[in-house]
Amino acid sequence: MIEVEHLRKEFKRIIKDPGLSGSIKALFHPKYEIIPAVEDISFQVPAGEVLGFIGPNGAGKSTVIKMLTGILTPTSGTCTINGKNPTADRKKYVKEIGVVFGQRTQLWWDLPLRETYGVLKEIYEVPEERYRERMTMLNEVLEMDSFMASPVRTLSLGQRMRADIAASLLHSPKVLFLDEPTIGLDVVVKNNIRKAIQQINRTEQTTVILTTHDISDIELLCSRIVMVDKGKKVYDGSLETLKNKYGTMRELSFLPEEAQPFSSEAFLKALPLSAADYTFSEENGRMHLRFNSEKMPVKDLLSFTLSHCSAKDIAIREADVEEIIRRLYREGVQPDE
Amino acid sequence: MNKLLRQYWPFTVAGVQSTLMYSVNILFFSLSEVLYCFVMFYLWQAVFAASGGDSFMGFDMNDMVVYLFMSNATAYLTASAADEMIADEIKDGSISMRLLKPVNFTASILSMDLAGPMVMFFVVFLPMTAGVEIYRGVQCGCVMFDPLHFSLYLVSALIAYLLSFYQNMCFGFLAFYVTNLWGMGILKKILLKFLSGAVIPLAFMPPVLREVLRLLPFSSLSYTPVMLYMGKLSLQESLISFGLQAFWLVAFILFCRLIWKCAIRRLSVQGG
Repeated sequence: MIEVEHLRKEFKRIIKDPGLSGSIKALFHPKYEIIPAVEDISFQVPAGEVLGFIGPNGAGKSTVIKMLTGILTPTSGTCTINGKNPTADRKKYVKEIGVVFGQRTQLWWDLPLRETYGVLKEIYEVPEERYRERMTMLNEVLEMDSFMASPVRTLSLGQRMRADIAASLLHSPKVLFLDEPTIGLDVVVKNNIRKAIQQINRTEQTTVILTTHDISDIELLCSRIVMVDKGKKVYDGSLETLKNKYGTMRELSFLPEEAQPFSSEAFLKALPLSAADYTFSEENGRMHLRFNSEKMPVKDLLSFTLSHCSAKDIAIREADVEEIIRRLYREGVQPDE
Repeated sequence: MNKLLRQYWPFTVAGVQSTLMYSVNILFFSLSEVLYCFVMFYLWQAVFAASGGDSFMGFDMNDMVVYLFMSNATAYLTASAADEMIADEIKDGSISMRLLKPVNFTASILSMDLAGPMVMFFVVFLPMTAGVEIYRGVQCGCVMFDPLHFSLYLVSALIAYLLSFYQNMCFGFLAFYVTNLWGMGILKKILLKFLSGAVIPLAFMPPVLREVLRLLPFSSLSYTPVMLYMGKLSLQESLISFGLQAFWLVAFILFCRLIWKCAIRRLSVQGG
C-alpha cells in the first residue's frame, strides 16, 4: 500500500544574467529562484496494482519516484509505503523495494554479471537456496544465459536493462519502481521485460509503479494510470476511461498534389465535423488534421479527403500519450471516480 | 562480523580493482613523489651545511632523511579519496544507486576507500620503508630498525588513516552544497600538508605555533606516526599523542554523523 499526500518538492536555482559580467555577478550576489518540480501530488496505490505514472519530459515523474524511493527528501507532504517513511529509515526501507532507473545501472561496472548478483545476494542477505531459485526463475524469464559471464560494461543496452531488472527483483521486493524501463530498447527486449513484470506482479502480488513514454507499456501492464504535467496531477483513473474519452483522437496528415490548387478554407468548410472535434494546422505545405474518430470514422474521413482533393503521402497516426496529456491539460479534466 | 565482512567486502574489491586500473598513473605519481623527496633532501642538506652544526632542533641529517621519506610514505598510507568519491557521485548522480542499497553510506564508502591504502601498502610503503632502513643501516653501520617503534607506527598510521577518512567525508559532504569541490580540494590538500608537518617537521616551528599545531588534528595525520617510527617520542609523549589521535578520531566521527544528517536532506540527485 502506497500513500502519497500533498507531496511537494522545490529546487533552488541560481539566476544568472547573460554574459561574463552576469557570471561574475552571480558569483558574488547569487539570486535564487525557487522552482517547484512537484506541486501537491496525492494518490494511493493498493498492494498488487501496476500503476503507470506518465507525463511529458520534465513533468516531475522522476522527482516523485526519487522521493518515493527515499533518495530525495520532499519539501513538504508525505509518502508512506507499507507504513514506512522512505527517508526516515533508509537502510530498512530499501530492502523492501526494487528500483530500476532506465538511465543508470546498479550493477558493478567491472564485475562479470554472475558475480554482481553474488554481491547483491550478500548485500540483501538473500539465503543461498532462495537465491538459486530466484536466479533460475529470472534467468528463464529474462533470458540472460548468454551474457551471464560477461563483465557488465560490455553488455548491450538491452542486456543491461534485463540484468538491471533481474537485480532489482533478486531480493523479492514488495514494491518495484521502474523509471523508464523500456527506454531505447528493441521490440523483443521490450516484450521480454514486460513479460517479467507481468509474471512477478501476478505470482508475487508485487506492487509496481512504472514511468514510461511507451503507450504499449501502459496498455499491456497498467490497470491504472496517474498522469502528471508541470508538477501537478492531471489525471488519475483507469486507462479504459482515458482512452474512451481521449484516445479517439487521430491525426491525418497529407500533402496536396502540386498540380491542383488546394484551399484549406474550402476543405474545412466542406468537412462535416463541428469545430470542437478537430484541429487543423499546416506545416511546410503538409496538412495536419486532428479529429475525433468517434464523430467521424477514419475511413469516412479518408474518402472525404480523397474526394475533395488529390492528396499524396497520406498518413494516419493514433493519439500518443503526449497528445492525450496535452489535450487533458488544456481541457483541465477532473479525475473520474 | 562475518556478515558485515561479506556485505562490505565487495566494495573493497571494487575499490582495489578501480585502483589497479590506474596502475600506470600510480607508478608515475609515485615517481614524482620520490623525486620531490630528493629535492627536499638536497634542500635540507644545504640548510644543515649553512647552519654549520651537525644537528638542528634534535634532528641530524640522517633523521631528516628518515623524516622526509617516512612522512611521504605515511601520506600514501593515510591518503583517503572519500571526498572526491562523494563529489563525483553527486556530480553524476550515481550517489542514488548507493543510497538505494541497504548498506550504511559511510561504511560502504569506507570499505571502498580502504582499497587505496591497501594497495599503497605493498606498492609504495614497503619498498620505501625498506629503502629508508637500508640507508639508515649503511649510514651508521648497524641495524636501526626497531620492531616496537614500527608496530606503534602502524597502529598510529591506521588511526591517522581513519582520521583522514572521516575528515575527508566531512569535507566531501560540502559537495551537497556546492556541487564542485575541485578548487577547494586543492587548497585543503596544500594546507594539510603544511599543518600536518609533512613539509617541515613541527619540531622546527616557532614554539607557540608548534604547540597549537600539536593539539590540532593535523599533527595526528603525519607528524605523530612518523615521530613514533623514529622513536623520538618519550613514553609519556607517545601516550599523549595516541590520546590526541583517538580524541580527534572520535570527534570527527561524531561531526561526520551530524553533517550527514543535515546534508542528506539537501541532496538533489542530478540527471534523469
